[in-house]
Amino acid sequence: MQLPPAAVQALQVLAVLCLAPLVSGAIAHVEARLQGRRGPRILQPYYDLAKLFQKETLAPVGASWWFLAAPVVAFTAFLTVPLLVPVLTDFPLPLGYMGDILGGGLILALGGFSVALAAAETGDPYAQLGSSRAMTFGALIEPSVLFVVFTVALITTTDLPYAMAAVDRSSLAQAIRPAHLLAAVAFFLVVLSDTGRIPVETHASTLEFGMIDEARGFEHSGPALALLKWGSAIKQLVLYVILADVFSAPWGLAGSRDVGPVLLAVPILFAKAFGVGTIFAVIDNTLSKLRLYKITEFMASAFALSAVAVLVLYLGGG
Amino acid sequence: MIGTLLANVPAAPSAFDGVTEALAVLVLLVVFAMLRQDLLRAQVRMYAFQSLAVSALAGVLAANEHASDLYVLAGLSMVLKVIVVPSVVLRLLGEVQVDLAGNRRFGVATAVLAGLAVSVFGFLVIGNVHIAAAGAAGLPVPAMGAAAATVLISFVLVMFRGDVVSQAVGFFSMENGVSVASLVLAARMPLILEVGFLFDLLVAVVAFGIIMRTHHRRSSSLSTETLDQLRG
Repeated sequence: MQLPPAAVQALQVLAVLCLAPLVSGAIAHVEARLQGRRGPRILQPYYDLAKLFQKETLAPVGASWWFLAAPVVAFTAFLTVPLLVPVLTDFPLPLGYMGDILGGGLILALGGFSVALAAAETGDPYAQLGSSRAMTFGALIEPSVLFVVFTVALITTTDLPYAMAAVDRSSLAQAIRPAHLLAAVAFFLVVLSDTGRIPVETHASTLEFGMIDEARGFEHSGPALALLKWGSAIKQLVLYVILADVFSAPWGLAGSRDVGPVLLAVPILFAKAFGVGTIFAVIDNTLSKLRLYKITEFMASAFALSAVAVLVLYLGGG
Repeated sequence: MIGTLLANVPAAPSAFDGVTEALAVLVLLVVFAMLRQDLLRAQVRMYAFQSLAVSALAGVLAANEHASDLYVLAGLSMVLKVIVVPSVVLRLLGEVQVDLAGNRRFGVATAVLAGLAVSVFGFLVIGNVHIAAAGAAGLPVPAMGAAAATVLISFVLVMFRGDVVSQAVGFFSMENGVSVASLVLAARMPLILEVGFLFDLLVAVVAFGIIMRTHHRRSSSLSTETLDQLRG
């Protein structure tokens, strides 16, 4: 039985929406195990969200309507990206042509920007510190993202994520070409930085001075905080999906709109995101966080990788 | 629908070209990592890793061309550059027991950007000299660009660091870049020439060893900052 394209498209968003807290919980569990702790339940993020949705929302005095709108805007923005990238199917769905990789990046950045703007409104020094840092480091990692996009464009002659995934699958030679490997590693570093992982940020820390993304939600409470937390889990899953399904392992996606393959793609999606997350958890446990002023070195390495990818392509071959 | 996506995609290099180019690019990336690395011992280990990549490159080429002298070269450069040279330098470092970290004249981000600038230059120059015809039996031409960039970034490493060990490591990694270039251009060079190059490297190691010791004895540090204060 074939599903209508709209249903598959909706299922992509729904899968990301429902699986994101599970992925976060599973990674937190693995991380705790690696540190020799028992760790929280895998389903703990769902309980947290349920608890937060029952609480009341408080806004600081003087904050405008944007403070309450921002979590919703960010949540919506992060949920729009699964329409554009290969989540369950390896062929583009009708809305998949709505935006290219740059479009997806723009929408992700819009979500981050709205949260940062809301944090800047609160008057809480830590939230403002976080939003200023998030914008600064976001701007520093952006050149690497651009060069990764250039690499994709040079390899595929389009800038659709589906095309990149299809090219990776098409032959071994395409998968191991140096430009692709370099771009994949550079994007891996971008994801490390964008999901607030060590060496850029300690995501589970309570120490305000090292915080970047985490500090922005300090003043939010209740359902707004729940949306923020859920939104960042979704952003993390979306980035993992792009890393796995576009750059490193675009296999296991449904090749048609039949019910079986599409439904089978959901657990495979979880498995891949969990695999990527486990790598991140291992990195979290082996490296130490960089000092804030050393983070530029990290961004410089990501930029060097992506720039070399473009260079190698320029010489033909690559 | 996928067919239309793939319609205009240029062909990838062959598997052999892909592997060798990836190894050449790895050699290039290790120099970037050296630029970033503060600790001198780690820098020497990176040099060992870079030499391993060069030896692997020679090995892959030998396997592809069934050339026994290239196997000999790969083995020799493995023994000399991966084991002997790094262990000699590490031993010298162990004797002086000062300066865990090197002396840095510029920030890491500046160094990496300068490295990128010179490697762009290297790639562009190699891209414009059309050496494709000469590389019939050797490595693919893009590896040549990586080799030129490696040599140039090694210069940046030598210039941007003010300690004897980083400068020695920069010099050695320059030699690795030249080895990659020679594998691209003249893979079937007589073995005696290649071995001659390798032993040149040993002479350089001895020279740098003497410099390190003498410099350390006189100024009790590895930094070259004090060199302009020495008087005859």
